[in-house]
Amino acid sequence: MQPLADELAVGDMLRQNGVSRRRFIKYCTGVASAMALPPWMGPAMAQQLQNAPRPSVIYLSFQECTGCFESFTRSFSPTMESLIFNVISLDYDDTLMAAAGEQAESALAKAMHDNYGKYVLIIDGSVPTGAGGGYCTSGGKSAVDTLREAAQGAAAIVCVGTCSSFGGIPFADPNPTDAWPVSAIVANKPIINVSGCPPIPEVITGTLLQYVTTGKVPDLDEHLRPKAFFGTTIHDRCYRRSFYDQGKFAKTFDDEGARNGWCLYELGCKGPTTYNACATTKWNGGTSFPIESGHGCIGCSEPGFWDKGSLYSPLSATDWGKAGESSPRQVLELAAGGIVAGAALGVVSAGSGRLRQYRSEHPLDIDAEEG
Amino acid sequence: MSRLSEISVRIEAPTRLGGLGGGVAAVLSELVDMLEKVAHGGEAATIDLRSLPMSPEDRSALQSALGHGEVQATLRADGVSTLQETGISGLWWIEHRDARGELIAELLEVATTPAILAASTEDMVAASRALRSRLEVTHSAAARMTHATLS
Repeated sequence: MQPLADELAVGDMLRQNGVSRRRFIKYCTGVASAMALPPWMGPAMAQQLQNAPRPSVIYLSFQECTGCFESFTRSFSPTMESLIFNVISLDYDDTLMAAAGEQAESALAKAMHDNYGKYVLIIDGSVPTGAGGGYCTSGGKSAVDTLREAAQGAAAIVCVGTCSSFGGIPFADPNPTDAWPVSAIVANKPIINVSGCPPIPEVITGTLLQYVTTGKVPDLDEHLRPKAFFGTTIHDRCYRRSFYDQGKFAKTFDDEGARNGWCLYELGCKGPTTYNACATTKWNGGTSFPIESGHGCIGCSEPGFWDKGSLYSPLSATDWGKAGESSPRQVLELAAGGIVAGAALGVVSAGSGRLRQYRSEHPLDIDAEEG
Repeated sequence: MSRLSEISVRIEAPTRLGGLGGGVAAVLSELVDMLEKVAHGGEAATIDLRSLPMSPEDRSALQSALGHGEVQATLRADGVSTLQETGISGLWWIEHRDARGELIAELLEVATTPAILAASTEDMVAASRALRSRLEVTHSAAARMTHATLS
């Protein structure tokens, strides 16, 4: 019997579509180069993907602005369409799919049922819990209920953007919708945070491709972000770094220092405390990144970036980089371990405090069901 | 507001080291190592040129140090790739471009032939099946012709 399209391995799918091995090796070589992986990874990736199953991917959008999805569609290498056609089976995405209403909702239910335990769940946006979850509903269900249900059968959850990773802008003080990151609602599932407001397109597609290729969650940092992309700070890789070392700083956006391309630290650049790949992968197909365009980094891939003081004040005058700054997930784990978190951590952001209070009132849903 | 010509951009000449930039000398000595290993039966090795911080001057210095060799191959798959043997036998300068002509990877590969040129056995199996079915179509067409002529 001819297997269903979704059961085909990536290699079978490619051959069916007339994609030669050479073409696929070339594609993977381009991806490896764009992701700054060692050059032997390209052919190795092509080899592994040949026999890898095309995973079902479900993309759910909650309290978000669709900026992350816009970013996703602008990935140059790999392109989103090459992923959809060759590597993954995108079974639900309310922004992209032709289906609507009942048809779309039944596609979601079918994908979750048929691929239970195996699908990759992508979440875009924070999860509002105020008003019984009523601030964000789709198909008559609240985001928080949809997330609880969809997370049950997921092999892994990829949080695209700072909102689903850390709460983002909706989570910022005073958080009127009582919004939370995915990690506050779901436990006991592998979570990969691809933060950024929005994340770099190639970091989104690269993380997905890496997961499909290896079938494993990549190495993550303490905020659950893939180390391959979030391993160094913007400042570490910044081409203006030598000016920082020499003490040459722009003081205003139109002074001589700014014209000479000096360091933007005093104009509020958050590069030294921000982990992301902007300085190497860059944006718009490798054209440039904010600092190259003359504006400091705003730290959009870090937890709580919106609540840490002015984007235009130097780091030394803001709440950035204080000892004990923790991700929501870390605070949860500490709280679960019975540590009096405030004292143990030293300084904890206001957001983390709110999260502890929420956790004490709402036990982690999946914990409760499995335990 | 300053005019474009007033924005100071100073291009500094690369530091000379035996006529080449320091980065270029490092790449060349890595290539010597790789060539020796591959020539003695080691596995093929590759350098990703885009991962190296090189100025345009460094690049042209590297190109002129390596020169052009006897073979140039063109691969047409989602855009054109060129695989040029350099003047150094077994050292290939590979440029992969996508359908829009954008450079997606630029590599230096040390190998008897670049790996991507070899046909894959999986593709050959699929191709032999396709060729066989073409043969069967030809046979059955010929049989129909004969039948029509006889009757």
